[in-house]
Amino acid sequence: MTIDPDPAAAPGPHAAPGVRVRDLTVVYRTPLGELPALHGVSLAIEPGTITGLVGESGSGKSTLALSLLNAVQPPGRIAAGQVEIDGLGDVTRLGGEELRRARGRHLGYVFQAAQNSLNPLKTVGKQLLDLGRSHGVADPAALVHDARLLLDRMGLPGARVLDSCQHELSGGMRQRVGIMFALVLNAHLVILDEPTTALDMITQAAILRIIREIHKERGLTTLIVTHDIGVAAEVTDRLAVMYGGRVVEHGPTTEVLGDPGHPYTQGLIRAIPRLSGDIDAARALPGRPPTLGTVPVDGCVFRERCPRRMDVCETGEPPVAWLGDRTVACHAAGAAPREKEHA
Amino acid sequence: MTPPTTPTRPGSRTRAVTRRLAGHLARGLAMIWVVTTISFVIIRNIPGDPVRGQYETLIERGMSPDQAERATAALYGFLPTGSLWDQYTGYLAALAHLDLGQSLSTPGTEVTTLIGSAASWTVLPVLGGTLLSFLLGVTLGVYAGIRRSGRLGDLLSISGSLLHGVPQYVIGLLMLAIFTTLWPIFPAGGPVDVEFTPGLNAGYLASLIHHATLPVLTYALASYGGWVLAMKSSVATVLGDDFILAAELRGMSRGVVFRYVARNAILPLFTILALSLGMLFGGAIFIERIFNYPGLGLLLVNSIGARDYALMGGTFLVTTVAIIIANIAADLLYAVIDPRVRTAS
Repeated sequence: MTIDPDPAAAPGPHAAPGVRVRDLTVVYRTPLGELPALHGVSLAIEPGTITGLVGESGSGKSTLALSLLNAVQPPGRIAAGQVEIDGLGDVTRLGGEELRRARGRHLGYVFQAAQNSLNPLKTVGKQLLDLGRSHGVADPAALVHDARLLLDRMGLPGARVLDSCQHELSGGMRQRVGIMFALVLNAHLVILDEPTTALDMITQAAILRIIREIHKERGLTTLIVTHDIGVAAEVTDRLAVMYGGRVVEHGPTTEVLGDPGHPYTQGLIRAIPRLSGDIDAARALPGRPPTLGTVPVDGCVFRERCPRRMDVCETGEPPVAWLGDRTVACHAAGAAPREKEHA
Repeated sequence: MTPPTTPTRPGSRTRAVTRRLAGHLARGLAMIWVVTTISFVIIRNIPGDPVRGQYETLIERGMSPDQAERATAALYGFLPTGSLWDQYTGYLAALAHLDLGQSLSTPGTEVTTLIGSAASWTVLPVLGGTLLSFLLGVTLGVYAGIRRSGRLGDLLSISGSLLHGVPQYVIGLLMLAIFTTLWPIFPAGGPVDVEFTPGLNAGYLASLIHHATLPVLTYALASYGGWVLAMKSSVATVLGDDFILAAELRGMSRGVVFRYVARNAILPLFTILALSLGMLFGGAIFIERIFNYPGLGLLLVNSIGARDYALMGGTFLVTTVAIIIANIAADLLYAVIDPRVRTAS
């Protein structure tokens, strides 16, 4: 069974696109003025990889993911920077019909609340036809065929699901329908925002396996936003750790998790309880993550909770340092030997 | 390989609708019985009895009780005798044959005839006004909901709130003052000019429309505000739903997204529409009074003034039945347009 549709039906980039985010600043309008949710973020996503975006709630993960579609919702807006995607150019400059056509066709997005990502009044099949019509798909029958194959592939009875409304499907089924919608137009950059958050462990494992398989099969570039380090460890090739609207560490997953360079990453990993071993071995990070209003203006955003705080952290934005294959934004990184955590 | 979209379980859906309908009819009949009984008791207990009054007048004029009784019976075509219970069972028995009895205030006329002619005069302005304000209110409400921060959107919301707050009769009196006195382009009252013979001729129809314009406009203006506000808030709610953002992130065209918003937003309004169409048979008392329009509302007011039991009971009954039917219709309609309700039963 092949899933790739007729290449002529899907113009545009076919190879996995690379993404280069440069100095991206996204601000939200609040009663206190415009506050940055992303502060000069730069991130290169390698073509063909599965990149994980991890961090606590409010760290800017979803805002960054939405920026890749130039879909930051008001009262937020992209204030500065570029998001360059192979085959599309700088998406922050796209607008109107051009942007709309890029979404769905080139950029597949699996919604954070994919449980509720369907029109409750229409069957999945009818919404699929709406999608086809919106993107000028010449052969709706072929589109339905592809959708059914994708659903079958994900272990769902495709024909029946297409004929169902949202309320007739379980949470796991809806999530897979959401993934189908992101893939059915053959998008090659797929962004999944918390794809497994609301699901039980078994369904979660099944969905992660499917994501990985389809990623490989279709040759995609995939970005998975999650707050769950376990999920990130399981499926991603590379990992970007976010804190206070910045990417603080980015590199191969095995390195970032095995030998974390940033004190925040170290704290995150230490906070994970293990199945074997003492629950007390898991130590939560002291303090709270900053909110839009409490992000410090100068200096390192993490210093309030950092065990390796130095004087320079008060004033200087940490420089981005290369540690082998990865980047770490910390004054202390490389300066002092990193403590290793053995669970 | 199965075809992409096979309709599922058509039989079970039809069965579900039938079962639903049967349940509604049973509940509806029970409701009609309750309302009939209550209105029977209330009507018989309000002070002032026209038959008794007539009878006593005749005795005062020197008739013997026997003569007076016979004369009264001849005038009204019947004489209420027997206990309240006997009258009640008799009333119910007649009702079962759709016999609402004779009017007391217009002796010799069947209540059904009076209600029938009044109903046709009510349906025209109230139905016309309701549909007009619904269409107008919903359309403008969608706009006000989508452009919440725009100037026109604000203007629409404000106009909605203002009109919603003004009572029907104030609007009616204003219309009357403006369009029949200050700028007399519409007739002040009555349903139609008497010189035309009723029927499908141009003169009669034109006169009909000419007379209906002010009542229809009044009704439409009085209910327009409610529709605008309801639709606006419904649209605002749907716009915040996840599936609308999801549709946009999938690159659905503006037309598709608009239809998703509109169809989901209008859903709760259909119930209100069906119910207000049921209420329509209660007539619009103020409007019919102001424009001297011989509809059900005016009939009810007059029947109460004349202590016409039969007519009062009949008018209540018609209103009740209409509202019950509207309820059933709203429920069935909802099942057609909302798949969630369909499967839930």
